[in-house]
Amino acid sequence: MDDAEAIKRCQQGDREVFRHLVERYQKRAVAHALAILFNRDDAEDAVQEAFIDAFRAIATFDTSRTFYQWFYVLLRNRCYKMTARRRLTESIDEAVLVDPQPGVTNETRLALEKALQSLTREEREIIGLKYFSGLSYDELAVHLQIPRGTVMSRLFSARRRLKGQLTGTVLREQEV
Amino acid sequence: MKELTCEDVLMAQMAAADGEEPAFSGEQLAAHMTACANCQNELKQLLALDRVLVSQTLAEANVDLWPAIENRIAQPASSVLHWQLFALIGLLLVTYKLLEMLPARDLGLAFKLVPLVIVTLLFVVIKENPFRINTELMMER
Repeated sequence: MDDAEAIKRCQQGDREVFRHLVERYQKRAVAHALAILFNRDDAEDAVQEAFIDAFRAIATFDTSRTFYQWFYVLLRNRCYKMTARRRLTESIDEAVLVDPQPGVTNETRLALEKALQSLTREEREIIGLKYFSGLSYDELAVHLQIPRGTVMSRLFSARRRLKGQLTGTVLREQEV
Repeated sequence: MKELTCEDVLMAQMAAADGEEPAFSGEQLAAHMTACANCQNELKQLLALDRVLVSQTLAEANVDLWPAIENRIAQPASSVLHWQLFALIGLLLVTYKLLEMLPARDLGLAFKLVPLVIVTLLFVVIKENPFRINTELMMER
């Protein structure tokens, strides 16, 4: 069943069909929430709440957008609400965000995650969407509801801050 | 022609590295890069960072949120009052103002504190702290 059909049936009150949308997008949504919140439990809570918001607001679904673009606005609202209520004070001692890669040490992963944690939520979000979801600048502009120029400047400022945090070996290993 | 700053140039170079259309011509960028050792160095570091990030993949989570979501959406929407709550508070405040305007009537200190109590209760109900400053707010460029 495609998204348009599922949405139409949800709008007619068919709750069971909403399951298709949840199962189709939950992994991607948790990954996006994790990139903002940096805590898996919080990310899953935010996604759960956002899906419930989506179900309750499905009658107002904007057909000019894809389901995920529309849902993402609800998700980031939930994530931002969560970050506003708590600070990212927990220091991480284990990488939770990125998978182990051949040739990448645990220290490098941990250093990267600590650096990401030090960014603002908007910066973490744009880095997550750009690198982990592979969105183009135009897609970032749609997802984040900001102009393309702001995408460029926000991404640049996030990279600059990240570079400032990743001093020493992590970047030196990659320089050519 | 606009004088390019180092930030303009680096932003455009990174856009080009991302496969996007840079905002300035290749000649303009090359002219700046040749003359600016700082930009050469910073671009090298930014590209190194790019390689680090590109090589990472997000840890996939095996999640199944449907059972919890199904339970929640099966329940009727919680009876949070939304606009009704704000309407009620508005009504209370208007009533207070009207009572306050009654001539020659001193209703005491407790009465004067009513608006404060109402507003405090409002913040308690909506679970927001009016004294917390969000330092993560950023200016849009």
